[in-house]
Amino acid sequence: MHDTVDPDFASFVDARQGRWLRTAYLVYGDLHRAEELLLRAFTQLSVRWTRVDDPDAFVQRQLYQPALRPWNRAKPFPDEEDPVKLALAELTPAQRTVFVLLHLEELTEFEVSELLGLSHTAVHAHGMSAFGRFRTAMGAGDWRDAR
Amino acid sequence: MRREDVQPLLLQAADQLPEPELADAAWTAGVRVSRRRRRTVVISVIAFIALAILASILIGVGTSGNADITPPTTPPGYIEASGKISGIDYWVAPPPGSERFLDRLETPLGDRLELPHKVRPLAKHTLDDIAAVVLVKQDDRYRPLLLGADGSWAQADVSLGAVGGEEPLSSGAISPDGRVAAFPQPAELVTVNASTAEIAHFPLPEGAFRSVSWVADGQRVLISGPSSAYQVVVGEIANGERAVLPIPATKDPDEVTAPYRIQTGAVLRYVVDGQWSDDSPLTLPVRSWQGQTMSSNSAAARVFIAEDLPEVPTRVSQPQVVAAISTLRTLPSRLLVLGEPQDSPPTYEGAGDRPFVREAGCCVVLGWYDDNNVLFRVHGWVLAWNLDSGRVRRVTEMGVDQVALGPGLRL
Repeated sequence: MHDTVDPDFASFVDARQGRWLRTAYLVYGDLHRAEELLLRAFTQLSVRWTRVDDPDAFVQRQLYQPALRPWNRAKPFPDEEDPVKLALAELTPAQRTVFVLLHLEELTEFEVSELLGLSHTAVHAHGMSAFGRFRTAMGAGDWRDAR
Repeated sequence: MRREDVQPLLLQAADQLPEPELADAAWTAGVRVSRRRRRTVVISVIAFIALAILASILIGVGTSGNADITPPTTPPGYIEASGKISGIDYWVAPPPGSERFLDRLETPLGDRLELPHKVRPLAKHTLDDIAAVVLVKQDDRYRPLLLGADGSWAQADVSLGAVGGEEPLSSGAISPDGRVAAFPQPAELVTVNASTAEIAHFPLPEGAFRSVSWVADGQRVLISGPSSAYQVVVGEIANGERAVLPIPATKDPDEVTAPYRIQTGAVLRYVVDGQWSDDSPLTLPVRSWQGQTMSSNSAAARVFIAEDLPEVPTRVSQPQVVAAISTLRTLPSRLLVLGEPQDSPPTYEGAGDRPFVREAGCCVVLGWYDDNNVLFRVHGWVLAWNLDSGRVRRVTEMGVDQVALGPGLRL
């Protein structure tokens, strides 16, 4: 591994870091933590850069799977008044992760289930309940009215 | 709210975030992690090698420290020699009265050797291997009873007379192959073949013969009395050989033995035709010899009454010693001093046997169980002394006066 950054790696990171930082921020509700996890995921990728088949999946697993760990209990979006962030804070970590990946990253439920190591049924349930609670928190009525 | 409305809301919520610059930082951290891992691997390998070297050193130290648990050079139950008499290691036998409590050497003789209640004639029940011969007295005559290796008894159809007022049974009566027993008789030698029940009489010139001893080939017998001794061929006679050959007699009939004879000053080896050659010199504090010399493949044994032994003082008797003299240069000779009762005068309080004093003449060597175990008789017991370990074991309690032991003893 050379001391100077690999140009391909630099291009890969530059192309994705902004989007993944935003996604991670909404998943964790903490910018500092999101940055730290994203840096750690890119670091892990840099060590295996020439050996990883699917760098996108690798980084996303490193980035989002910690959100599902049982000890991930930090309160998201502290001292925030933005109603969207407050609505996201109402969700459980699993619901928020699935919800953000489904609606911001626009991944399918199958992709999310493979990324997070959850069953498709669990991802679907988390997605539905998260959407309902998000709607309710946003004052948009019962989720069953949604289409 | 519809699903399509969610994404703009989320994008808007995360819109104000600063643009990160993580490529360089991630790569630098990756380089650091990579180096740390490589360093860890190198340190682990070095630590493993160091531990392996340390373990090998410790094992080496442990092995050198384990010298005490390497296989011992002495056999199990080894007893240290008590000292030396005339340069020969000696042991002291368990005292009289303690024989019953010794470990037992299993033989066909059983716990107690007694005359059997039921005996079959030898003609109907031949034996392949004689373990022991005893004599049963009928009026003034004696009939030999043979004990086989299988523990069965057979009576030979021959009547023997007393010699010198004693039973005509010599310690060396049984041939080396365990098939034939020889008995000294006035003016003849009688043999009993246990495997064929054949009785043979070999006439001899007049003489009060008391002792017989087999030559190692099993074809010749030395028979001796106080004034005359002969070599008698009981097997096949070689060309020109005399069937009865006079040989030099000694005052002690028991001294004429083959293949070795132990006497004061030397161990002699029987060559042929009544000739003995010096095998080795012998310097022991002997007052007199008792019984015959009995030989194994590696040693010859005989009992002697010693002069006063400063090494093993006695109070009421003259010390007696079983001398096992090695006939191989590589093996050491050994002595077993027969002890006295622990207290003087001996008392008897019921436990064990009465502690008889081992008087002169009580004890003789009867033979060998194998090359390591000498069988000898003390008052009322036959004991075995293991030359390797120095241990003395009981063989049988004597319910008869005399016994001759043969190779059929070995189980």
